[in-house]
Amino acid sequence: MTTRSLVARATFVAAGCALCLKVWPAAAQPADFSGLYFPYRGRTVAPQPPEYTPAAKQAFEEYQAAFGIDDDPGRYCIWPGIPRAIWGASFAIEIQQRAQDVTIYWEGYGMYRKIYMADHDAPQPILPSAMGHSVAHWEGSTLVIETTHLRPYPYMTRMATSSDAHVVERMRVEEREVEGQKGKFIVNEVVVSDPKVYTTPIKITATLQERRDAQLLEYTCSDTLWDEYLSERGLVLPDLDALPEPQG
Amino acid sequence: MKAKTLWQIIVGVFVAVVLPAGAHHSFAIYDMSQNLEFEGVVETVKMRNPHMTLTLVAAQADGSKRTINFVEGAPANMIVRMGLNPADIAPGKTIKAIGAPRRDDPNAFFLKAIILPDGKRYSVIN
Repeated sequence: MTTRSLVARATFVAAGCALCLKVWPAAAQPADFSGLYFPYRGRTVAPQPPEYTPAAKQAFEEYQAAFGIDDDPGRYCIWPGIPRAIWGASFAIEIQQRAQDVTIYWEGYGMYRKIYMADHDAPQPILPSAMGHSVAHWEGSTLVIETTHLRPYPYMTRMATSSDAHVVERMRVEEREVEGQKGKFIVNEVVVSDPKVYTTPIKITATLQERRDAQLLEYTCSDTLWDEYLSERGLVLPDLDALPEPQG
Repeated sequence: MKAKTLWQIIVGVFVAVVLPAGAHHSFAIYDMSQNLEFEGVVETVKMRNPHMTLTLVAAQADGSKRTINFVEGAPANMIVRMGLNPADIAPGKTIKAIGAPRRDDPNAFFLKAIILPDGKRYSVIN
């Protein structure tokens, strides 16, 4: 090959690469979800209300007839779990992200969740749980999370789910301007499939807003229940704060 | 967080098809249309989740004293985020409190707002 042809070929390749760079943008990098957040402006649900299967509709009617307002799992500190935690009430949420997993801490009920990355030797599920077993992969900058092995949540007025529930989330970071200031948001598009309970998958979009000034406070839920138990037993705890100050 | 924002969140919670984490039951057991104001001395306070509780010893018009039992209020974490210092409602402090009675027990109240002697108001519900 002559020098001239080599130069011509190199020029062609360089021009081609330049075109490639122009036409094909750089592959999107995985998003960084780490930070402190609060839920932002609720969420949307479709269809609304959820469409129950005939058997689940009967269960719903029986539940409504039997359970009153005070017969509430939250009062007894039952974790709402996945998917319900995703659009939770206004408590802080902390996300810590590593190459092998994403850990989410919810102040409300003191819930936490591990999301294992599929390409980092994700562990096998062991027990059904409130938060289930979550394995994720990246599609560009979007984290796609699949959750299974959920414990039944049979509270029919609170988006009940059976053991067959399968939750897919598509989580991404967006920069938005709110009141003249740019901020970091996480948008999570959730699809809940549970053919025993719902005729069609339920689609929910939940948004978190980063709050760098936030801190995760302790949320101990069972103190009141413990007090009630002690009261029923006629037991009184010692008041250590009322002890006298040490002398000298 | 401003009280109005919190109230909007709570309303949003209860008109929705499903309830989210943290907001664990409806307020329908209380007559939320009422805003009964009491002034008195804090007897007990429990800054807890999912709900704070408070009892207030209030003087009656006839000179007698009545203990007002606020059996539920905001989650402790939410009300301190509004800026309330727990020391300002410690036992022995004089405060005003706004309550809504339970429909089945007029002596049990939902704590809708706390008003400190300097006029600062911490409202769960306006």
